[in-house]
Amino acid sequence: MGLQELLSTYGGMYGQALLVTWRMTVVSYLGAMALALIVTVARVSPIAPLRKLGDFYVQVFRNIPGVSLLIICVYALPNLRVVLDYEACVIVTTVLVASAFGSENFMSGINTIGVGQIEAARSIGLSFGQILRHVVIPQALRSAVLPMTNLLIAVMLTTALASQVPLDPPELTGLVSYINTRSVGGILPFFVSAVGYAGTAFLIGIVGNRIDKKVRILR
Amino acid sequence: MPDIETTAAAAANEGAATPIIEMSHVDKHYGQLHVLNDINLSVEKGEVLVLIGPSGSGKSTLCRTINRLETIDSGEIKIDGTPLPQEGRELAALRAEVGMVFQSFNLFAHKSILQNVTMGPIEVLHTPKAQAEEEAMELLRRVGVAEQANKVPAQLSGGQQQRVAIARSLAMHPKAMLFDEPTSALDPEMINEVLDVMVELAQEGMTMVVVTHEMNFARRVANRVVFMADGQIVEQAAPDEFFDHPKSERARDFLNSIKGH
Repeated sequence: MGLQELLSTYGGMYGQALLVTWRMTVVSYLGAMALALIVTVARVSPIAPLRKLGDFYVQVFRNIPGVSLLIICVYALPNLRVVLDYEACVIVTTVLVASAFGSENFMSGINTIGVGQIEAARSIGLSFGQILRHVVIPQALRSAVLPMTNLLIAVMLTTALASQVPLDPPELTGLVSYINTRSVGGILPFFVSAVGYAGTAFLIGIVGNRIDKKVRILR
Repeated sequence: MPDIETTAAAAANEGAATPIIEMSHVDKHYGQLHVLNDINLSVEKGEVLVLIGPSGSGKSTLCRTINRLETIDSGEIKIDGTPLPQEGRELAALRAEVGMVFQSFNLFAHKSILQNVTMGPIEVLHTPKAQAEEEAMELLRRVGVAEQANKVPAQLSGGQQQRVAIARSLAMHPKAMLFDEPTSALDPEMINEVLDVMVELAQEGMTMVVVTHEMNFARRVANRVVFMADGQIVEQAAPDEFFDHPKSERARDFLNSIKGH
């Protein structure tokens, strides 16, 4: 099967698969960023048990393979009467893993803020919440743009986990399996999917760099 | 400077007036090191108190305990008669009443100069934005950096940044100002522009605690010089008396060691 035949037969499905990948990527990334922010706030909070819990969360989800989490979500959770559909399972898995990495990005962003700025904020009477909102989080966000761009790409690639569950319509990697079980596509279907991933990553990279240039903090 | 003298004298005459800052039997250890040893000190309204001493003597630590950037092991610190709260909203409220200027300026790197000054009034005092900006511009004019209002801190020189830091503290209408080695991180040619602002503040009657190595400033502006060594207050006196007739061996050694600087 040549490229032309592949595209004429499955071109529409590739388009659909790319959209599914994009959708899962966006949803997972938004979830991961929100969760990462919450975990990070816990990790810098003045309450020691909360800090420990935040650190523990990162250690756990940074160090478990996504596939294992996916298996737990698909096969184990139903025993606790929590039944998520397949796409939700992939998204939950991706969010858990990516938020752990995202929190590390935020922490390194926070570490670029001198302790002096926080003392200055305290000495004008700002509360812990106000210091987070006005001093820490804005600076951490702005200096985490490049690592967070990388994370977005990693999230997209992680959604390929969905090829391990029956998704209809499938996303880019799942589609490759779908095609290869029906016809002898060889390496070519993989290549087309790879172009979809790489093209998206390329665009993400460009946008990320632009944003970074714009918001980078002069020091 | 008749202004300060009259204010200080007035404060001294009113025996019953509460000191703005009052420390009694304050102790603090860093592990084995006794960094503050039974500190008793009070600062009257309008008084300019200069803290000097060799490095490691505890003077910066003392300064930082006054708004609880450093905790203490025992003793009591009162601001305008109110004991310094441990934490939370009450502590934040009290901190808002005491300005602090740091050695390393510590301006908010992501905010404009104007926003650095308005953040406190808007967030803590709930001053309307327009009014906060108007007051901030007035303060920036006073310290001579109004033209820089829309720049970010990294675009300013050290001396300019420190003057902004002073304006940021003043914007909170503090009852007292703490200066923790405000000129130690500055290039020599920028030291005076910061000292000039501080002299002006002192003349206007601001209550000030200043940790510094600038002996000329101490001589010109201080009402009282407090000499610290090894975590203790060794002696305190009016500047002329202290510099010309130091009583303790430690103070004489210290003053000899810095002669010619």
